[in-house]
Amino acid sequence: MRGTARRLGVPGGVAAAVVALMLLAVVAPGVLAPGDPTAIDPAGAMQAPGWGVWFGTDESGRDVWTRVVHGASSSLGVGLAATAIGTGLALVLGFAAGLGPRWLDVGVARVVEVLYALPTMVLALLLVAVQGPGVAASVLAVGLATAPGYARILRARARTVAGSGYVAAARLEGRSGAWVLRRHVLPNSLWPLVAVVTLGIGQAVVWVAALSFIGLGAKPPSSEWGAMLNAGRLYLTTSWWLTVCPGLVITATAAALTVLGRRLGRVAS
Amino acid sequence: MTVLRLVLGALGRAALVVWVTATVVFFALRGGGRDPLEAILGGPGSQAGPEAVEAARTEYGLDNPVVVQYLDQLRRVATLDLGTSFSRRVPVADLLRDAFPSTVVLAATSLVLAWALALVVALVAVGARGPVGRAVAGVLRGLEVVATVTPHFWLGAVLIAVVAAGLGWLPATSTPGQPAGLVLPSITLAVPLAGFLGQLMRDGLEEAGTAPFTTSARARGASPARVFTHHTLRHASLPVLALSGWAVGSLLSGAVVVELLFGRPGLGRLLVDATLVGDVPVVIGAVVLVALLYVVVVTVTDLLERVLDPRLRRPRAGVATPDDASAEPVALS
Amino acid sequence: MRRPAPVIALSALALVLSACSGSTGGDGEGSGSSDPSGSAQAGGTLVYATGDAEPTCLDPHVGGNYPQALISTQYLEPLVGRDADGTITPWLATGWTVSEDGLTWDFTLAEGRTFTDGTPVDAAAVKANVEHLQDPDTGSSTGYLAVGKVSEVEVVDATTARFHLSAPDAALLESLSQQWTAIQSPAGIERGQDANCAAPIGTGPFVVEAWTPQQQVDLVRNEDYVRPDGTAEPAALEGITWRFLPDAATRYAALGSGQVNVIDNPQPDSIVASEGTDITHIDAPRPGSSNRIELNTAQAPFDDVAVREAFIRSANPEPGIETLFAGVTAPSYSPLASVEPTAYSDESLFGYDLDEAEALLDGAGWTERDADGYRTRDGERLTVRFPVSTNQSVAAEQSLFEQIQANTRQAGFEVVLEPMDLSAWYTALGENAYEAVSAPYTKVGPDVLRVLYHSDSTVPAPSGYFANHAQVKDPALDALLDAASASQDEAERADLYAQAQAIVLEGFYILPLYDQQNHFLTRGVEGVETLGTVSTPTFVDAALTQS
Repeated sequence: MRGTARRLGVPGGVAAAVVALMLLAVVAPGVLAPGDPTAIDPAGAMQAPGWGVWFGTDESGRDVWTRVVHGASSSLGVGLAATAIGTGLALVLGFAAGLGPRWLDVGVARVVEVLYALPTMVLALLLVAVQGPGVAASVLAVGLATAPGYARILRARARTVAGSGYVAAARLEGRSGAWVLRRHVLPNSLWPLVAVVTLGIGQAVVWVAALSFIGLGAKPPSSEWGAMLNAGRLYLTTSWWLTVCPGLVITATAAALTVLGRRLGRVAS
Repeated sequence: MTVLRLVLGALGRAALVVWVTATVVFFALRGGGRDPLEAILGGPGSQAGPEAVEAARTEYGLDNPVVVQYLDQLRRVATLDLGTSFSRRVPVADLLRDAFPSTVVLAATSLVLAWALALVVALVAVGARGPVGRAVAGVLRGLEVVATVTPHFWLGAVLIAVVAAGLGWLPATSTPGQPAGLVLPSITLAVPLAGFLGQLMRDGLEEAGTAPFTTSARARGASPARVFTHHTLRHASLPVLALSGWAVGSLLSGAVVVELLFGRPGLGRLLVDATLVGDVPVVIGAVVLVALLYVVVVTVTDLLERVLDPRLRRPRAGVATPDDASAEPVALS
Repeated sequence: MRRPAPVIALSALALVLSACSGSTGGDGEGSGSSDPSGSAQAGGTLVYATGDAEPTCLDPHVGGNYPQALISTQYLEPLVGRDADGTITPWLATGWTVSEDGLTWDFTLAEGRTFTDGTPVDAAAVKANVEHLQDPDTGSSTGYLAVGKVSEVEVVDATTARFHLSAPDAALLESLSQQWTAIQSPAGIERGQDANCAAPIGTGPFVVEAWTPQQQVDLVRNEDYVRPDGTAEPAALEGITWRFLPDAATRYAALGSGQVNVIDNPQPDSIVASEGTDITHIDAPRPGSSNRIELNTAQAPFDDVAVREAFIRSANPEPGIETLFAGVTAPSYSPLASVEPTAYSDESLFGYDLDEAEALLDGAGWTERDADGYRTRDGERLTVRFPVSTNQSVAAEQSLFEQIQANTRQAGFEVVLEPMDLSAWYTALGENAYEAVSAPYTKVGPDVLRVLYHSDSTVPAPSGYFANHAQVKDPALDALLDAASASQDEAERADLYAQAQAIVLEGFYILPLYDQQNHFLTRGVEGVETLGTVSTPTFVDAALTQS
């Protein structure tokens, strides 16, 4: 355990701390920000960051810090849900292609290609046009659009691992396919995915925010980070903190997850 | 023979992509909470008279069994019979044709800019030496992550506020045929993509710098410049090139936001406008066109890859190139 | 390996730089000057950037919304005008008389006037226009309602058009002053809807030259323009570039950087920021109705007047209006716009009183509170679904709705704000899936009360749309509105409308917010006026200023 910590290094340690803070904000936002994220105070609107109002206040006098903290669960939820859809689909496609017979590989390649041909926003707008607006459409669209990328990584890794000497040795020892999959293929294929998946969470938050920009995103008064970023954009020149603060949190989250993902991947291999 | 293969491959790919797209649209229309007829005509606010409703019912064969409807839909998409926009009362094909060039110009400019930015950043990061160099490389690595998660609508708004409104250097809006107006939208679109491509390119350069083929080339007495252009750069650009199809898709996604923000006409804005009024025929048409554009880009990329990578001049197998096991990047949306 | 790097870096930089240098002066389409002291000059093309949705048809007879009224003001003219005091003035019609029973109206047209295609502006043209509005194939909503009581137009002679009415309509002149009933060339209408939508032919100071969808409409000067008073004098401008620029921040930046001369729908903070600069602010609130939240009385919980009053008493929008709108508008306590001379206000009904609201809800049986603090009755939560059309409510207004959501929550209401696109919004209204809604509706004069609160307006039009979103069905109110519509006596009309407004306010059917906002910012141009009808700007006397 101590070895793992050391190998994480200083950047890894910082990243781990940031992620821990995020998790705390998800589980117990009241600890970090005891206030009510929806409490308005028109008289105290548009206060610049200062003592007690760390991130300033917004156009309705709500405390931005409180909103950011309480928005962590919905924001990360959006990112995680989209990424879960993406990785779930990718696991099926990637392993089918990587470990299955040749015809399956070719078939999956075609499916992956089609998914690539439908970019996130195009897919999201298609879903909104036929199903009506909402966060669900964007989460599903982001998930579907990220799946082919993950699938290609998994397929390539699965191929490499399946063709490696230790798998051949294990098979010679009479190990079952399931044992090999569990023991060798899964661990060795999944770690490379972690780094990109973590970055994907940050991107998913951003894409769902783009739907807020069009006016089809999160429901108010949700303090989903992307929606906050978009709402604050209109006051960019007069009240910079309304976009910079949630923007920094999105960036910090994405960066921390990425760094941590990479370090963990390195530690594990 | 290679050319024939390529053409057949492209056609097959196009057919498949269009088929799946049409299928997705078909079931999305029917699986949703909205009545397909209402969706086609734009909801209860569409002011469609009884005749228009009847006409649409006949045109889309909504009284027929689902199987017949499905085959009809396939036939319409396959023959590029995209129908008529209910909101603008003109053929969908005309709308797409008008919107298409502006978006292609924007996406192409942004793609080139993103490649250039990514390459510069990757070269600096890889080439950096000494403590200062390492610090610079570290900062660049950080910037790559930041760029990757920067929303287009925010970056665009900052550029408009600072460069257009503040400094007055460039126009805040963009119209086709006006090169100055293309600069800020292109930067807005290119930066997040460049952040992502930069990470790939850096990995590729680092790997290629120590790869056996560069070492052997150096041993054969090739000049460093030749080694770089003929081996290192070539190797590093392959994964990035392979992602062009995806990159264009990502740019088209971003174009939806950027065209709205800069008031530039184009496919993305057409798609948003159509979505907001529930003009489903236009949405379907735009989706099919985007999918076809992807096929074209992938075919061209394939061709380029063959030129750049001698190993690919043999017939390929499966999805992956032989060396993509480790260097294969993941494409996020 | 290192040497080529700077070379590539430099060439990439050069690429960017050359793209930049090509830009200087490239934005020459806007001729706006940054020098406020510049003097007016003839000619030039004005650039107008609108944030309203791009019309799908430039003929305001088709459908009939505000974006169409905005642009068609430049090329189509109505039969009659209306000045800022609400007085009807001659326009294409130089005079009119009404029969004793109010059922026959004679309009006299100026002689020798023509549309820009050469077709004469005669009684036959007026008849063709009314028939066009009433033709179901036209798909007119707004204009259709405006001429709803006209049973026939008779061509008495070339310059006399006689309107036969099915019932007296005191609001007829006001209805005909609107852009949605503007008169266009019958030959233009004959071309069919597709052609006419692309370029309607009128008598206005400008002519539609080209329409590039998503980008702009190019308007050129009508050299033969004849003003309402009969003098032939074309506009000073050579043309107008009418651009569609949906993002408010971009629009304001484009105005500041000299790309455009006029913008509409600016954000309140932009209006405040532009004070003391060379930007001119025009505040032209829309006539007719005030901007309000309508409470759906057709179903629970707002079928109970006590619950409606509790909602309104706990909403407390005033502090929010003050900060969000930064002083560019004032709270309203009337169903009608402050610019309507017949508007009736009662501020006492809208005072914030949380205790009173709680008492009312207790009395109405909403006594329990669930785990989230919302009131319940028989296990049913006190939920208010509030669909918000993001095309129709500006950002500041959406923020205000969030504040009302937070305020009414104190009393135990769960307000569910649902941002949605226009078609989903229509669907929600059509399916009665709302308890509160804020819908824009503009009509000149107090007759808008009949459109919004008469029980007839709860019956959907063929298009599926109904304007009485509060679903008010009050026979006493209907009688007052019918009587006002039939009365020829101004004083009597005003009194009837005051009584009707009192019923609307005291029934707590609506929460008035403020006037329907209509602001314009101009720069490098002078002489921009707004019409006294639906407050659309006209550029007939506008001139660019150049140093």
